[in-house]
Amino acid sequence: MKDIWTSIRRTPYQSFSAFLILFFTLFLTLILFVSLTFLYGTLNYLETKPQVTVYFQNKTPENNIFKVRDELMGSGKVSNIKYISKNDAYNIYKQLNKDNPLLLEMVSADILPPSLEIYAKKPIYLPEIAEYLKKQGDIDEVQYEKDIIDKLLVLTNTTRMAALIFFSYLILMSIVVLTTMILFKIALKESEIILLKLIGATNFYIRKPYIMESLFLGITASTLSFGIFSLIVLYFNPFLQSYFKGITDLSVDVFNYNLTIWPLNYIFFSIIFVSISLFGAVISSVASYIATNKYLRV
Amino acid sequence: MVNGCGTGGNRKIITMITFDKVTKKFPLGNTALSDVSFEIDDKQFVFLVGQSGAGKTSILKMITQEIVPTSGSIIVDDFDITDKNFSQKIDLRRKIGIIFQDFKVLSDKNVFENVAVSLKVLGIDHSEIKNKVNKALDLVALSKKEMVFPVQLSAGELQRVAIARAIVGDRDIIIADEPTGNLDPKTSWDIMKIFKKLEGKKTIIIATHNTDIVNSFQKRVLVLQEGKIIKDQRKGGYEL
Repeated sequence: MKDIWTSIRRTPYQSFSAFLILFFTLFLTLILFVSLTFLYGTLNYLETKPQVTVYFQNKTPENNIFKVRDELMGSGKVSNIKYISKNDAYNIYKQLNKDNPLLLEMVSADILPPSLEIYAKKPIYLPEIAEYLKKQGDIDEVQYEKDIIDKLLVLTNTTRMAALIFFSYLILMSIVVLTTMILFKIALKESEIILLKLIGATNFYIRKPYIMESLFLGITASTLSFGIFSLIVLYFNPFLQSYFKGITDLSVDVFNYNLTIWPLNYIFFSIIFVSISLFGAVISSVASYIATNKYLRV
Repeated sequence: MVNGCGTGGNRKIITMITFDKVTKKFPLGNTALSDVSFEIDDKQFVFLVGQSGAGKTSILKMITQEIVPTSGSIIVDDFDITDKNFSQKIDLRRKIGIIFQDFKVLSDKNVFENVAVSLKVLGIDHSEIKNKVNKALDLVALSKKEMVFPVQLSAGELQRVAIARAIVGDRDIIIADEPTGNLDPKTSWDIMKIFKKLEGKKTIIIATHNTDIVNSFQKRVLVLQEGKIIKDQRKGGYEL
């Protein structure tokens, strides 16, 4: 630690420049990372909303309906199926029109068809499920919002691709800029590195102080980025509360672990902090490794 | 080290450095060394002399493997450094202390740190470093300036720091490339006195064209001209 501090003190401008670049990169990464996580969470949430509603003919026996339901559940493409019997449909109708006695008088449970509300595991399965249902007997009508599903699928795929490209670019840019910054710093030490090589220092010995300093700057910059980001999130929390009103839970799947991102919680923030610190440590140490390579060929 | 039979009685002479038919041609065609062969014994004191461009520095750089010969073989201690499979460059360099004409003292480190760096690369313990550095600074008469930074030192003092750095790690071979080249005559003599103190303790190779110093030391002299050894005097001086 003493050596790191001495090195920073002896080349303060280069260290500060590297710190600023790291801070900017990590702060931007943090904002993007959290925004994309929320976008994914929202998409996951929306993906659970589209459904196929299938209305059966009035006199279809319940057994036939249950048979279709069971076959769909066994397909592995459906997360949930809700059976709405004629009586359930009538109760919903009554609830919806409780202030209009005239409408209530006109309708009885007999004329309302039984139905299944089908929630697919992924929107991509919905057209397939709809086609399957249309081929069944006793079906009166199959409803699903094809346009919305298609748009959602396009949005999901575009977001994933854009995120991949942007992150790749961001990582490449960070490493190139940081390498250049560290090269400026190391250029001042060229004669020292050559001397160390000539007196028998290993490459690791020569690299170690640069990598340690970069790690220190990377972790400091990520901690500061996280601190400032957290303050911004806390400041905008009331706005977020109203924006996500009605959504009780947003989550993303991380290596088969269901991570809750909304409401904001300590686990999510801890994962963000660890991720951004690791990212800062990795890009700063990779950049210093590349930069020192240039002078280790003596 | 290569053991051999000495010519004077039964005393065993150990060869520290062997150059056998070494030639170095650079890509643009100029020849730095041409068919150079010589042996330097352990703890021998040798001057490499010759005009600029004669090949003195090339020999020193080959000993440290900064450059490799185009042909021929070089053995330093137990290392055949011209072997295609040679992979002990770090171990080789850890046996050699180097002194440069331009000192190469690190400007952002004080005297103590500059000398200590030679031990740190060897992985020596911190407390041991302090003792050894203090002894080396005593030898070069810089004990009172261990906390001073290079900017506050004279050229002679800077060279003494470089010598302390070269000798501190108990390295077997000391090579010095024009160690007095940037110094005035009086300071040059002071520096050479330090080398004199090391005589018989280390293998010392000094590249120089300072005739006065070479003549007064009366040590072995290898005279180079246009990349060839033209004279190998076991004892004595020379003239340019």
